[in-house]
Amino acid sequence: MEVPSDLLAKIDEAITHYPASKRSASLPLLHLWQEHFGFISDEAISWIAQKLELQPINILELVTFYPMFRREPAGKRHIRVCRTLSCAMAGSYELKERIAAAAGIDLKKWAEEGAHHANAGHGNPIAVSPDGQYSIEFVECLASCGSAPVAMVDDNFKENVKLEDAAKLLKLQRSDATMPRVRPPHPREKRVVFKNIDREGWTNDLNCYLNDGGYKQLEQALKMKPEEIVDEVKKSGLRGRGGAGFPCGVKWGFIKRGGPKPTYLICNADESEPGTFKDRYIIHQDPHQLIEGMVISCFAVGANLAYIYIRGEFPEGAQILEKALAEARAKNFLGKNILGSGFDCEIYVHRGAGAYICGEETGLIESLEGKRAYPRIKPPYFPAVLGLYQCPTIVNNVETLCDVKHILAMGGGAGYAKLGKPNNTGTRILCVSGDVKKPGYYEVEVGSLTMGELINDVCGGLRDGRTLKAVIPGGSSAKVLKAGEKYKLKDKEITLEEIPMDFDTLAAAGSMAGSGGVIVMDDSRDMVETLNNINEFYAHESCGQCTPCREGALWMKKITDRIIEGGGTAKDPDVLKNVADNIAGKTICAFGEACSWPTQSFVLKFRDEFTAKAKKDIPPPMPPEYTPEQLVENEKIETLHDQRTGAPFAPAATK
Amino acid sequence: MSTETAAPVQMLNVQVDGVWHQFPKGTRVIEACSQAGKYVPRYCYHPKLSSPGNCRMCLVEMGMPKMTPDRKPVVGADGKPEIAWIPRPQISCAQDVAEGMGIRTDSPMAKECRQGVMEFLLINHPLDCPICDQAGECRLQEFSVEYGQGESRFLEHKVKKPKNVELGPRVTLDAERCILCTRCIRFMKEVAHDDVLGIVDRGSYNSIACHPERVLDNNYSLNTVDICPVGALTSTDFRFKMRVWFLKETKTVDVNCGTGSNITIGSRENKIYRITPRENNDVNGVWLPDSHRLNFKYVADAHRLHQPTVKGQPVEWRTAIAIAAEVLKSKPSEQIWLLASGRQTNEELFLTTRLVNALNIKKQHDILPRNGTADGLLIAADRNPNTNGAKVLGLTTSKPGGRLKKFVEGVRAGTIKVVITMGEDLTKAGLTEEDLAKLDAIIALDILPNKTTPHATVLLPASAWVEKRGSMINLKGRLQRLNRAVNAPGEAHDDWEILRDLIQAVSGSNGLYMIEDVFKSLAAEVKEFAGLNLSKIGDLGVQVIQEKTPEPEPAEAAK
Repeated sequence: MEVPSDLLAKIDEAITHYPASKRSASLPLLHLWQEHFGFISDEAISWIAQKLELQPINILELVTFYPMFRREPAGKRHIRVCRTLSCAMAGSYELKERIAAAAGIDLKKWAEEGAHHANAGHGNPIAVSPDGQYSIEFVECLASCGSAPVAMVDDNFKENVKLEDAAKLLKLQRSDATMPRVRPPHPREKRVVFKNIDREGWTNDLNCYLNDGGYKQLEQALKMKPEEIVDEVKKSGLRGRGGAGFPCGVKWGFIKRGGPKPTYLICNADESEPGTFKDRYIIHQDPHQLIEGMVISCFAVGANLAYIYIRGEFPEGAQILEKALAEARAKNFLGKNILGSGFDCEIYVHRGAGAYICGEETGLIESLEGKRAYPRIKPPYFPAVLGLYQCPTIVNNVETLCDVKHILAMGGGAGYAKLGKPNNTGTRILCVSGDVKKPGYYEVEVGSLTMGELINDVCGGLRDGRTLKAVIPGGSSAKVLKAGEKYKLKDKEITLEEIPMDFDTLAAAGSMAGSGGVIVMDDSRDMVETLNNINEFYAHESCGQCTPCREGALWMKKITDRIIEGGGTAKDPDVLKNVADNIAGKTICAFGEACSWPTQSFVLKFRDEFTAKAKKDIPPPMPPEYTPEQLVENEKIETLHDQRTGAPFAPAATK
Repeated sequence: MSTETAAPVQMLNVQVDGVWHQFPKGTRVIEACSQAGKYVPRYCYHPKLSSPGNCRMCLVEMGMPKMTPDRKPVVGADGKPEIAWIPRPQISCAQDVAEGMGIRTDSPMAKECRQGVMEFLLINHPLDCPICDQAGECRLQEFSVEYGQGESRFLEHKVKKPKNVELGPRVTLDAERCILCTRCIRFMKEVAHDDVLGIVDRGSYNSIACHPERVLDNNYSLNTVDICPVGALTSTDFRFKMRVWFLKETKTVDVNCGTGSNITIGSRENKIYRITPRENNDVNGVWLPDSHRLNFKYVADAHRLHQPTVKGQPVEWRTAIAIAAEVLKSKPSEQIWLLASGRQTNEELFLTTRLVNALNIKKQHDILPRNGTADGLLIAADRNPNTNGAKVLGLTTSKPGGRLKKFVEGVRAGTIKVVITMGEDLTKAGLTEEDLAKLDAIIALDILPNKTTPHATVLLPASAWVEKRGSMINLKGRLQRLNRAVNAPGEAHDDWEILRDLIQAVSGSNGLYMIEDVFKSLAAEVKEFAGLNLSKIGDLGVQVIQEKTPEPEPAEAAK
């Protein structure tokens, strides 16, 4: 296998990022290979395996797990259209069809092709135009729900794609992700982490950051004791911004200092919970903020090596981070003996490849180790004890790590804790998408806004003539809240609109603040269709490691498919609910809850819509699964043999 | 863990389904439940492999002692600690028991979990038990009976996956039957140290696969079939040959090398269909090499010797023995040489020593050594299964085969004129066929024709190892038992009977009527066997020679 020298140089360089294990370089090598050759051939699998001293199956496992890797060539321009909820609500299905038509791709033909494919997920195989110019696939959430529908043309990103512009998209030359733009914050906002986002005159280079007082907190931190920083973070009450809301300082406190093993810090930039789109902007517009937060955090927990696990669908984000890291290295904000403090710290960017489950911290660790992103069982694999390479590891969300810098900037934990409410301190970036006039990201003090204020005031209300039907308050896995519902709190009863957007109240209302992705649905939305869209996402993203989620997620999707196609039976709503009940709480990771909460809550709260569509006593007959020819297996069944001679018995002669 | 340094094991109090038990520290919860008589169903858990906790079948309710604010356990009215139950079910395969732990294996929650998991496992399963080889020994079937539902709620098309896939030369995969427990993958990685299996695709489409460049051709590949809890991996050799419930199971030991792996022979109507490993943690764990388990076809070879012959002419046993005795008695003892075998049982070796004594050929005997290379797992370098037996009984020296050079010289010099061979081909001992032709007489016991048998003056058809009872001592000094699975063909006799008759013909009555009698004499005369009999050896054997320098290779993998 002839590998060009420039590619080889990049490969060899990438391997150096993983001093503890070459295997970790599997995903980077696959990316490099695909960028160069367009797809991962069988020879590539063997070559990479050999290069990393692995077995070819180790690489084959990855290529088939991570959807961004292709085993067949795509078109010269490859278009990815986001299929997930907010984009679907904004017309991404029709968009995909229009783009395909403009590119001359016969989607129907490719769908039939897919039916013969072992893994007939969307985009498998990828639909390519006859002239090989274009190819198109649906992908799951591109994390820009506030500007739905969105698409990617090769590495270029396009937001707010208009259906009538489908043909233009094929010629897209510039990416929206790196386009400078100015958008002043809403008066109700409290910009801390997002201070520089869409700010006039702001660029993502180091000088701009330094002119604004950048890396001052790092200097400050390096003069403190690491334990003091951990204490300040504890005092700040900062809760993880990734979804679970676990107190950051407590998590850091689990790290035992001075052990024989190195400690690692990982930034979870695998932003992929549908409805969430905040990390994208931090990475694209203010990467140094993240790097500063990370170096401080590394110093605090005693890590000398950190990784930014960035989702594969942010290729530009990865480049921006690489550039920012190089700038920081050049100024000794990173590297050996940082600013003369004696503290060494290195950060590398590690790209994912299209798997939602990598957002789960132990799945992320497995992925970073160069494996399928199968979450680990806890106990015993708590990352703070047995994390990356079985060493103590801290995994924090992008926003959380940025907050660390601001805790120091505010004079410590107490200063930060003044923002927000007790146990719900600081600011939160709320990402609003769906049926509001002004979707987008809004950084507010935690709990300073109610749901009603967020939707009607900050986001400009619903579209004219529409009324609110439902809200998913914390990313698509959060349980749906229904307009008109009343929620009992300790001292009072409140409506959906009155819920303050904080961790504890949303939990008390039976849902969660999650990752801050608020998806608003008005009365035009069909809840069976909506759930079906969510179900498809989770069925596609289940890693398949443990039984309930592997089998149940797809089952739920197939039920809602059937209901939509008109084959729903009267039992279906109960079966759906029960299948979800059998998944939640019974799986290795929280994906079990993530995939079942939508079904549980949709069926419970919008049961009438389900029963209206699922009326049949028995399901209509399905087309046969196998043709008669397929039913005859090509097996050789040995005939009886004579025991003494070993010869097959001849048919008994009739006398 | 060495026994000398082991500290007394700490015992922990654990409540299983309301009853308090004590278990040693380090006991897995799932094992503790079994010990308490509460078997927890499982698919992915295997005691010899790591625990991925992926099948979720072993979910139970678990709790830890309730603590007062000053971290003291709250004691209930019965004087036992009160338990704070964890609201979510927990897997029992990945955690060790802890002091004061509570486990509920049969609570409504635990049962509901199992029912849920069973249903999930079956929705995409083809339910093709009538044509599945695993039927009858399938965990999916067994747990379905206990936790399954009578009716399917699954109205959708099942996921299609590859079927009838040759993962390697000996293992066939049906991915639709697979429940993705990953036992096979972990076995290949952790025990066979040959990382060839993996999972391809994602989610519900996941399936076991190997890369076409590196197929499952490891000599331990069939162990994946043994540990596959369902019919996903089947033995290509055994596939579609016999329903397992028709198989008679005979516990015996493997004779392909000095390890003496414990095995079960599955046979029906005098035909062997398969050999599977039998758990013995002092010998082979639960594993067996493919080369050993598939090496039984020769037993049913059409060319098996089944009639005694004298100079190639079929004769009656009586005649054959009489002629053999005549030949032996007609020669002075210094002209007779006996080639024993490391494949003989202790009983046969013991009778061979009697023959040696009767013929007064005290130093004119040895065994044929068989040396290969150890594989670092279960295959020992010594390919004779009973070298230790031959040593103990004095049929060979500390250097097996050390006398063979002299033997060959003797034959060539014409000083040795008669050779008795106990199932060994003399050409493998260094003689040529011309040498054999020069001998006055050869008396050979054997089961199949070889280069020696055409030259045999008296050829006595004997039994294969699956056709006889007896015992052997493995390389680690463990005395183990062979049992009869099938009968020898035609008029072939059990080796010990042939020897008894021969001794009787040479030197008169010996009073041995049953194999037990042989062992009785053996126990009386040889110290290693003192106080033992065939039934006392048991299914797992007994250590009769204390290990001095244990060979490291055979049992490491078995752990």
